[in-house]
Amino acid sequence: MSVIATHELRKSYGRIEALKGVSLRVEKGQIYGLLGQNGAGKTTLIKILLGIVSKTEGDAALLGHPAGDAAARRRVGYLPEDHQFPGYHTGHSLMDFYGTLYGVPAADRRRKIPETLELVGIAGRMHSKIRTYSKGMKQRLGIAQALLHDPDLIVLDEPTDGVDPLGRREIRELMTRLKAKGHTIFLNSHLLGEVELICDRVAILQQGRLVREGTIADLTRQKGRYEIGLAAGEAFPAAALAKLGYAVHAVPDHPDLSEVTLADGQTIDPVLKLVAESGLRLRHLLERKQSLEDAFLATVEGAEPGVDARPGGRRAPRPVGGGDDR
Amino acid sequence: MRQFGAILKDSFREAVDGFVIYLMLGLSAVVVLIVGSLSFTPAPPPEAFAKIVPGFSAVFPEKGRSRVFTGSADQYRATDVQPAGGGYALRLGVTAQPNAGPLPGDNGDSFRQAVAAWAKPAEKAGEVEVGGKGKGGRKVDFGVQSASVEEQRAVTDARMAEFIASQFAVQAGMDATVTRVTTNVAEPEYAFDVTTTGGSSVKGWPHTTKIFFGATTLNDETPLGGVLWLIEDVIVSRFGGTLVLLVGMIITAFFIPNMLRKGSVDLLISKPIGRTQLLVYKYVGGLTFVFLLSAFTVGGIWLALAVRSGYWNPDFLWAIPILTFTFAVLYAMSTLVAVVTRSAVAAMLLTVGFAFFLFVVGQIKSGYDDVRAERPDAERSAWVGPVIDTTHDVLPRTRELDVLTRRLISEGTLTPAMQRLAVQAAGPPAPLLATFGVSLAHIALMLAAACWWFGRRDN
Repeated sequence: MSVIATHELRKSYGRIEALKGVSLRVEKGQIYGLLGQNGAGKTTLIKILLGIVSKTEGDAALLGHPAGDAAARRRVGYLPEDHQFPGYHTGHSLMDFYGTLYGVPAADRRRKIPETLELVGIAGRMHSKIRTYSKGMKQRLGIAQALLHDPDLIVLDEPTDGVDPLGRREIRELMTRLKAKGHTIFLNSHLLGEVELICDRVAILQQGRLVREGTIADLTRQKGRYEIGLAAGEAFPAAALAKLGYAVHAVPDHPDLSEVTLADGQTIDPVLKLVAESGLRLRHLLERKQSLEDAFLATVEGAEPGVDARPGGRRAPRPVGGGDDR
Repeated sequence: MRQFGAILKDSFREAVDGFVIYLMLGLSAVVVLIVGSLSFTPAPPPEAFAKIVPGFSAVFPEKGRSRVFTGSADQYRATDVQPAGGGYALRLGVTAQPNAGPLPGDNGDSFRQAVAAWAKPAEKAGEVEVGGKGKGGRKVDFGVQSASVEEQRAVTDARMAEFIASQFAVQAGMDATVTRVTTNVAEPEYAFDVTTTGGSSVKGWPHTTKIFFGATTLNDETPLGGVLWLIEDVIVSRFGGTLVLLVGMIITAFFIPNMLRKGSVDLLISKPIGRTQLLVYKYVGGLTFVFLLSAFTVGGIWLALAVRSGYWNPDFLWAIPILTFTFAVLYAMSTLVAVVTRSAVAAMLLTVGFAFFLFVVGQIKSGYDDVRAERPDAERSAWVGPVIDTTHDVLPRTRELDVLTRRLISEGTLTPAMQRLAVQAAGPPAPLLATFGVSLAHIALMLAAACWWFGRRDN
């Protein structure tokens, strides 16, 4: 059973389609990243899964229950983007309030609240009013409240927003530890470097459509581009390879390396065979990869950002990397 | 149930977060302190009875149950007042005016006339203005009750004793055992041996009231119940109640819009709690806040009054649930507006406007009913009556709830005679089923609409 499963999921706000038939699966124990420009439909997808927004068409299931079902929500921890905690609570009292709504017994709450706040590094301020917290502390509190009831699935929408670099690393390490304990994490973040570091699988949404999905390795691999280096003093057989139909270029700043690009249907094996038959000694072979950011930009390049069609959402397109998301 | 408790606690935290609640509690505490500084000194028994018994010349027919009263020319006096058990023993003398006629003594007198009239059904004959004309004036029925000579002669000693005991109960709120004395007393003079119970802590006993721990005298030899009624009904229930409702509407108007703020509502809806539950629990949280506020204020004043006066009147405590119920009507409107607009200002203004509208409808209905009763045959526009009646019938009855509170407070404080003058002259009580039924239906309707809107809305 998949932790999250959607099939042809659609959502329309009036005439605007926020999701246009999204199908994806998240399996247990994964850290799954959801990427996309502003207005791509990421937050709408999360909100449908949690029953905050209703779907228009299609199917969505969470932990084997229909999306939004109370039984499923009991096993989910959620940190929304742009969350607003009531300022009249202290960190401790807020955790106690949410813990009670989740049905955590009083004895467990007494024990787990300080533990969880310690885990995110704000136990020392747990009896201070939230209105005195910095943005980073509120973010840490948001993560803590999502973890308190030991959920099977943790949905984090921009969890490192407003957190300093050290804090981000701590949050990344926390997510890794949670994964090791068997939790599934569904992560929505604009910080692609972080997603690349911790996610097992990634999906890219573009204007309400799922345009790419796979492991980080799948998404960052540059199929058909290899760096080749020979022993010192040996010349690379560029002309011979060109006759065979391979494109060979020099690698900038690395005069001892050459880049071979394969055309459709070609493999690297004839190149290696030619090197060996020519008596040349192979010292360096690397299948070229790109960063997740490069892969993401390549995927969405040229596409217009989506339109925030949610109630109260802003209508104008916004640049990548900030502001609300759908 | 634990979720319900958590949301109640959350609402309470929200309520006590602002300064308004502390201002209100401080104000309540000051009022309780001022009431606690009151002192009630009962008049000495001879003076008290000398003040009470002249009022017996006002007679309420139907054995004291009638709203219409009639007067008599009898003069009452209390003598030989002595402590007896928990009350007092006294001799009550009555000097009656003989009726004119051919045979002195056989034509009856004003006392026999009063006793006979007391036992008969009331005959309405007119109205008198109580409290002066204009604002605050109230018309009270009075009757000129007639009894024939035969009816007067048929009055027995036992009926006279029953009448006197009734007068003690109606005029002074005092239980009394009465025996007619005939030895050495010839008509039109009458005498009765009376033994009362309840001591001086009865509604009609004259008291001297001082404030600020005796520093200032408020009134001298005024019936205890009258002073308590003035404090409980006029000062606390009317002015205090209005203030509690107003403050309640202001503070609680923020509860639901705050909950529905972007970034806040997501956190709550994502928890395993239904939207209807969430909204209803939050609504009850608002009611609880007003309940606690009124319980603190009314309860505190009640306790202070009871301790200082020695008169424990639990009827005043009815003001707490009735005030909370009145607020429930208004807060249901506030909840609906808050869910639809998500604006605390809109919720506040529309709810205060709604409360004022209900007050105006209640006043119009009351005034129109009075006009209809006074001139039932007068020519009126065909549509005015039905429009007023229908508007009143389908809307929550906040005015009737207010009148109900007054009635309950008066029953606990005023003597029956004072009640009839101060409260019952306003007319018969509204049927409780209609008062609460229509209001409850409104609460249910507005909450159902709010839940429906909240349930179908994407957040």
